[in-house]
Amino acid sequence: MAHCGPRYPQKTLDGKSMNIQSGYFKKKLCVDLTTGACDRLDLSDAFLESYIGGRGFGAKLVWDNLIDHEFRIDPLGPENMLVIAPGPLTGAYLPSSGKCSFIAISPATGVYGDSSMGGAFGIELRQTGIDALVITGRAPVLSVLFIDDDETSVIAMPELAGRTCLETEGLVKKRLATHAVHVAAIGVGGENGVRFACVNADWSRNAGRTGVGAIMGSKNLKAIAVRGSRDLPVYDIGGLQEEADKAYRYMAGHKYFTLWQREGLMNVMEYANSMGILPSYNFRDASFGRIAQINGDTMLDNFKIGDSACFACSMCCGNICLVKQGKYIGTVTEGPEYESCAMLGSNLGVDNFAAVLSANQACDEFGIDTISTGNLIGAVIEGYEKGIISLADLDGRTVSWGDEDAVLDLIRKIANREGVGNTLADGARGVIARWPEMDKIVLHVKGLEQSAYDSRAGSSMALAYATSDIGAHHTRAWTIAKEVEQGEGWSDDEKVSLVIYHQTLRPLFDMLGVCRLPWIELGLNEQHYEEFYRYITGRDVSLQDLLRQSARVYDLTRLINTRLGMSRKDDAIPYKVHSCPIQAGTTAGKVVNKEDFERLLDLYYEKRGWDRNGIPSPETAAAAGA
Amino acid sequence: MAKRLAVIPELCSGCRICELACAIAHFGVNNPKKSAVRVLVTYPQPVIRMPIVCSQCKVPLCAEVCPVDALKRVDGVVVLDTNECISCMKCVEACPFGAIYSHADEDYPIKCDMCNGSPKCVEKCPKSAIRLIPEQALGESKRINNVLSYTHMKEIEYIEEGKGKTIHYAEIGKEEL
Repeated sequence: MAHCGPRYPQKTLDGKSMNIQSGYFKKKLCVDLTTGACDRLDLSDAFLESYIGGRGFGAKLVWDNLIDHEFRIDPLGPENMLVIAPGPLTGAYLPSSGKCSFIAISPATGVYGDSSMGGAFGIELRQTGIDALVITGRAPVLSVLFIDDDETSVIAMPELAGRTCLETEGLVKKRLATHAVHVAAIGVGGENGVRFACVNADWSRNAGRTGVGAIMGSKNLKAIAVRGSRDLPVYDIGGLQEEADKAYRYMAGHKYFTLWQREGLMNVMEYANSMGILPSYNFRDASFGRIAQINGDTMLDNFKIGDSACFACSMCCGNICLVKQGKYIGTVTEGPEYESCAMLGSNLGVDNFAAVLSANQACDEFGIDTISTGNLIGAVIEGYEKGIISLADLDGRTVSWGDEDAVLDLIRKIANREGVGNTLADGARGVIARWPEMDKIVLHVKGLEQSAYDSRAGSSMALAYATSDIGAHHTRAWTIAKEVEQGEGWSDDEKVSLVIYHQTLRPLFDMLGVCRLPWIELGLNEQHYEEFYRYITGRDVSLQDLLRQSARVYDLTRLINTRLGMSRKDDAIPYKVHSCPIQAGTTAGKVVNKEDFERLLDLYYEKRGWDRNGIPSPETAAAAGA
Repeated sequence: MAKRLAVIPELCSGCRICELACAIAHFGVNNPKKSAVRVLVTYPQPVIRMPIVCSQCKVPLCAEVCPVDALKRVDGVVVLDTNECISCMKCVEACPFGAIYSHADEDYPIKCDMCNGSPKCVEKCPKSAIRLIPEQALGESKRINNVLSYTHMKEIEYIEEGKGKTIHYAEIGKEEL
C-alpha cells in the first residue's frame, strides 16, 4: 500500500520534531458526578510529552488533585479522583494495543494505586476523542456515565443496584438500545466498598487490583458506557504498519507462539510448579502435588471452548472455558489465567479445575479481585487451622484446604460484606486489625495482598514486591523467572539493577497503553516500542528518553506515597518471606534473609537517588514534576 | 476463478486485527469503525466470535434496493460505483448479514471490495479464521467437522513405542441394519 502519511520523523539538529505532531487528541474529559458537569479540557503539549499517557497521566493528575486537597483524601470519598487513561498507542495497529489504566488513591493501600485492563474498552474510550477520563464527586443516586463520541451524559439507573457486572452490562446496553457500546461496570463488590473490588468490562476483562471498583462504588457510579467513532491520530500510518507487521511476524515465528495461543497464561502453571514459585496452601509450599488436575493440559482437554484476545493481539492468551458435567455444569467464563488459577486453586489446596472456574466466575460477577480474594481466603484457612480465627468468627462454618464449597461461600460473603466477609472485604489490613496475629499469616505489602509468585525463591522478587508503588503486585517488576533460571550467584547489584530496569520498562507499557506480554514472554524487542511511539506521535525521541520519563513517573508515585505517610518501614517483606522457609517444591528450604533484604533495599534507594529512608531528594522531586 | 471469503468462527479470537488492516488499506486511517469487516462477539451464552464479511452474493439484495444501480456484481465481486452512489445507505440496511457499514466521516457506504483479489483481512488474521477459498470449497470445514463428530465413533487405546495412542473408527451399527 502507498505511504499515506508524512515520512518517519528524521533526527534534526534544531530539535523541532521533538514536538508532538500527532498521537493525541489533547483533551481530557472531566466529570464531576456531584454536579453532573462534564467538561472537555485541553491537555498541554508539555503535559503530554512529560507523562506520555496511561499511568503517567494518572499519576500527575492524582498528584495535582492531592495538592488541591492538601494531601487529605479519603480513598472512598468524593474528593478522590479516578483517572481512566489509555495511552497514545492504545488501539493502534500494533501487537496487543488494548490496554487502558485506572488510576486513583487506592482504598486497599491508602496511597497511589493503578490497575490496567485489556480488552477493547480503552480503544472505544479513546475513539470518543479523549486521552483521559477524569472522574470526581459522587452522584446522588446510582448512575451510569455514557460517553457517546462528543456527547456525555450521566444517567440515573438505581435499578442496577445489586446486579452482577455482566447483568449490568446487559441492562445498560438495553437501556441505551445498542449492543455497540463497551461497558465497564462494577458488581456488588464495588457497590459495597470491598477494598479490592474490580472494574469489569467486555464480560471478563478486569482492572483488578488496588480496589478501583470500590472507588466507582463510592461515587455511585455503577458503569461507564462508551461509544466512539473517531480516527485514532497517527503521524505516519504506513510506517507504523510496516513496523507492526515486522513485530507480528516475529511473534508468529516464535517457538512458543502457538503454545500461547493454545494455553495462554495457563501454561505458566506447570512452569511455576516446576520452578518452585507456585503458591500452594497459603504460600506454605511452592509446588502443588495435584498440579496435573489444574494445569493447561487439563484445561485444554476438558474445558476450553474458545480463544479470546484483547484488541489487536495475535497471542490471544484468553481462554474461554465451560464446565460440561458435574456439580459446576454450565459454568462458563473467560479464564482462569495463571494468577486466578494459582490463587483460587493451588493456594487454597483446590484441585478441581471446575471449582476454580466457578470461583473465578463468581469473582468476576461480584466484581472482586481473584488475587486478593484467593490470598485472603488462604490466610483465613491457615488462621483457622492455627486457632487464630475461631469457628464463631467464621459464622460457624468451618474452612479447610480444598474445601470448594467454603471457598465459594466466602467469595459471596466478601462481596456482600456478610459475616466474616465484612472483615475480609477490608483486605489484609482489615484482617490484621481484627486478628493481630494474622500479620504473620497474610502476605501483603502496603496493604495490597501478594500475587502468585513466591518471592522466597528469589530475593529480587521480594525487593520487587516491597518497592512496588501499588503494593505486592508483580506488574512493576517480575524478576522471579530470570532469578530462578539464571540467578545463582547474582550480586546485590545485579538484583537491584534488574528490579529497577523492570520498574522502569514495565510501567512504560502502562503509559503507552499496550500489553507487555509480547515483550516479556515472546522476547519482542523493546526497541519496537520506540518506533511505534515515533510513528504515532511524530516525536523524534528514543527509547531511552521514554524510559527516563517512566523513571520520573516512578519517582512521582513514590512522592505521592511519601507525602501520604509511607517510608522505608512500608517497603517491608511479609513475615513469611523472611521467617518461614518454603516447605515443598524445588525451592524447598528457601527464605529471604532479613539482613540481606535490608542491604538490597539500601542499594536500591541509593541507585534510585532516594535517601536511606526511601524519600526522593528535592532534585528528584523537581525532575518528576512535583 | 472467483473466490469467496469464508469464516471459521471457532478459530476467531476477537482481536479485530482484520478491522484495522481493512480500514488502513482503504482509508489510510487507524479506525476499526471504518472497516468493511467487523468482528461480532456474543457472551456468555452462546460464546461466539464471528467476523462479519461480505458474501458477494450472486443475488445481491444490496444492489436490488439501490435506487441508482450503483452496486453491480463484476467478476464475482459486488462493486460500489461511487460516481453513481447517492449515499442513501439503503444497502447498509438491506444486507441480511449487516456486512455493509457506514461512518459519519465517509460519504459512501463502506463495502468490501475484496482488495483486488488479495484481501487484507485474510492476510493479517493471526488465527486463519478468515480464508479466501474457491467457491466449490465453501462449507468444507463444516462438513469435515460434522464427519469427525459422527456420533457412532468408537475408539481403541493402545501403546506404541511406549506412548499411549488412540485410534478412532466408525462402527456400522449392526443392530440398526
